[in-house]
Amino acid sequence: MSLYAYDPIWPRHEAIQEQATRWHKRGLLSAEQLTAVQAAFPLTFYRPHLFLRIGLFLFTTLGALAGVGFVGMMCQFHFLGMLLLSLAIGAVVLELVVRGKHLYHSGADNALLYLELAGLVTLIFYLVYRQLNQYGYEDVQDPVPGTVLLSVALLFTLVVLLLATLRYADRLVAIATYLNALLLLGNLLLMLPHGTLLLPFALGAASAGAYVWFTRQLRQPERQYYHRCLRLLRGVALGTAYLSVNYWAVREGNAALLPGYVYQSPQIPLAPLFYLFTAGIPLVYLLQGLRRPDRTWLWLGLLTAAFSVFTLRYYRSVLPAPWAATLAGALLTGVAVWATRYLRRPHHGLTAAADEAEDPQLNLESLIVAQTAHSAPTATEAAGVQFGGGHSGGGGATGAY
Amino acid sequence: MSPESILAELQTRQLLPPAQAELIRTDEARRPFSLHRELRLLLYLGIVLLSGGLGVLIYQHIDDIGHGVIVAAITGLMLACFAYAARRLQPFTWGEAPRAGFLPDYALLLGCLLFVTLETYLQVQYGLFGSRYGLATVLPAVVFFALAYRFDHRGVLAMGITALATWIGVTIQPLSAFVTNDFWHSRLSTAAIVLGLGLMLAGLLAERYGRKAHFAFTYLSLGSNLLLLAATASLLDFTPGYGSFPPVVLVPLILLVCAALVWYARRSHSYLLLLMGIGYAYVAVTYVLVRLIAATESGEAGFTLLLFYVPLSAAGVVLLFVNIKKILRLK
Repeated sequence: MSLYAYDPIWPRHEAIQEQATRWHKRGLLSAEQLTAVQAAFPLTFYRPHLFLRIGLFLFTTLGALAGVGFVGMMCQFHFLGMLLLSLAIGAVVLELVVRGKHLYHSGADNALLYLELAGLVTLIFYLVYRQLNQYGYEDVQDPVPGTVLLSVALLFTLVVLLLATLRYADRLVAIATYLNALLLLGNLLLMLPHGTLLLPFALGAASAGAYVWFTRQLRQPERQYYHRCLRLLRGVALGTAYLSVNYWAVREGNAALLPGYVYQSPQIPLAPLFYLFTAGIPLVYLLQGLRRPDRTWLWLGLLTAAFSVFTLRYYRSVLPAPWAATLAGALLTGVAVWATRYLRRPHHGLTAAADEAEDPQLNLESLIVAQTAHSAPTATEAAGVQFGGGHSGGGGATGAY
Repeated sequence: MSPESILAELQTRQLLPPAQAELIRTDEARRPFSLHRELRLLLYLGIVLLSGGLGVLIYQHIDDIGHGVIVAAITGLMLACFAYAARRLQPFTWGEAPRAGFLPDYALLLGCLLFVTLETYLQVQYGLFGSRYGLATVLPAVVFFALAYRFDHRGVLAMGITALATWIGVTIQPLSAFVTNDFWHSRLSTAAIVLGLGLMLAGLLAERYGRKAHFAFTYLSLGSNLLLLAATASLLDFTPGYGSFPPVVLVPLILLVCAALVWYARRSHSYLLLLMGIGYAYVAVTYVLVRLIAATESGEAGFTLLLFYVPLSAAGVVLLFVNIKKILRLK
């Protein structure tokens, strides 16, 4: 049995077709050439439009849960029996539909995979917390951070999620795997004497390391199967790197880890350092995002900036909310309008025009004509290069749903 | 895959002449990085925060010195927005007008949001329309519809449709919304159904006669959602109020509208409408089945039937989705 649940050809052909379509929209490929590319790299899998995927997801979940209820009836609601039988049936159905119907992240297979993994995680926690107890561990009902039992449970779930990611390359499962690994690391650290103090820095360093690794993997063509996951994971790694040293997350997390009930979260050691991180990281992300330029950094810069504002307002009421909203709105609108007007012509390698928009400065026509002149066999292909497909939308005025 | 490796792949397959590949390579290297979506997101957030903040401020400072300043600021900003949008106005056409960038569209949107704020304020503070609430609510609807058609703006059209629904709701039951906080009761749900039908009809006619045919989707999706939501809500209402349709009318109506949606979705390749049509139809059919089982008082057998019905029907819908292209003979 192959490691890959889906045919590794599919993501490859998909990437080629997507890129070819982008080039066609920019007027660099003719319609005939695009059709030829689509014929040469056909998409033989089934993944419908987004709204159909949502429908498939909802109805598959409904049907599968009703099916679990049906199985439960047959097992007379014996918990372990019901779970095991449902998991076995679910796994077989998932594999069969992927193989038989060529589903590829089509909503239905996602739903089955998530339900299957949710069941497996439930099973692991059930076994660890109910069954291991009988062999001498003290009786703990709820998972407590910094315990061996939780580490064991997280280790098992990590293995399951990792295997699932390697096989199905699902983006949500990949994120869950990554977060699970961070949780496990944090939990292991909490078992050390000064774990709480180390926690933000260790998690931040681990996230940064993960970011570098994901980026490096993304460059390797043989990791094509996982590119969708890796692209998203890069952003998530940047996000966790910020969150692990964000002042609010550290302070409230510290308060949550303190024994007993805490009325108000106490001040944390090294607070100025965390102020600096909270204020500085969004700026670094935004500047890097514009300088590189890299959309992942840019979006994480926007998100973390919003979270830093939240952090500030959580502890200090700088302005009354309506005034803050008005001023922030005026500022955002002003900056966006100024940037849009400034970037109407490209500056510093940045533009306000849509990505698929055609570049009027690229004088393709002359080049194409020159090329058709001395390469007769391709003349028919190049003659039809379309200088069209430019499109720019307005504020909700256009919309293609 | 990197663009470079895709270029190499296409060239080995003889799909791309070398000169064109070189052209694409140059474009990949020289093409500026697009901030289009990011800027639009920032603009949208800014507009929402600005109009929301101003809308609260105007009431907080009602007895204040700064009050007049805020009213003047809102008025000035609104006029500036409308003026900016008007300056970039394209000549009127029944088709889709070409766009002069996205800034005028957002300016129009902000102007409309501020208009609502200002109008509501004038009514609250000076009682501009007295107790003629109908007039107060129909005014934005008229203004928004006019602006939407003149400026060719679907967002403003949606705002106009919302204002229209408010007007009808206020006209039919002036106080129920405030007293019972129950929007979907009896006559209101009937009105919503009629309005939904009207909107769907407007959408179909717009497309049929080529009068802003690209507005059809906004009309159809909003109208059918209003209709189906109201019809389903009054169908599932345990204590149907006086004047609401009986299930005998509602169920065929829902199924008919769903069929119309699927028919339209098939023509226009709109998968949102397809999903809505199938989803609402599923709810209606399930409702009929449950009512039948309840009516026949079949007890154990009825329960077993339901037990089989839910997973099997869900599997059926999944199969329908998977084979939808074959069934509807889409391209």
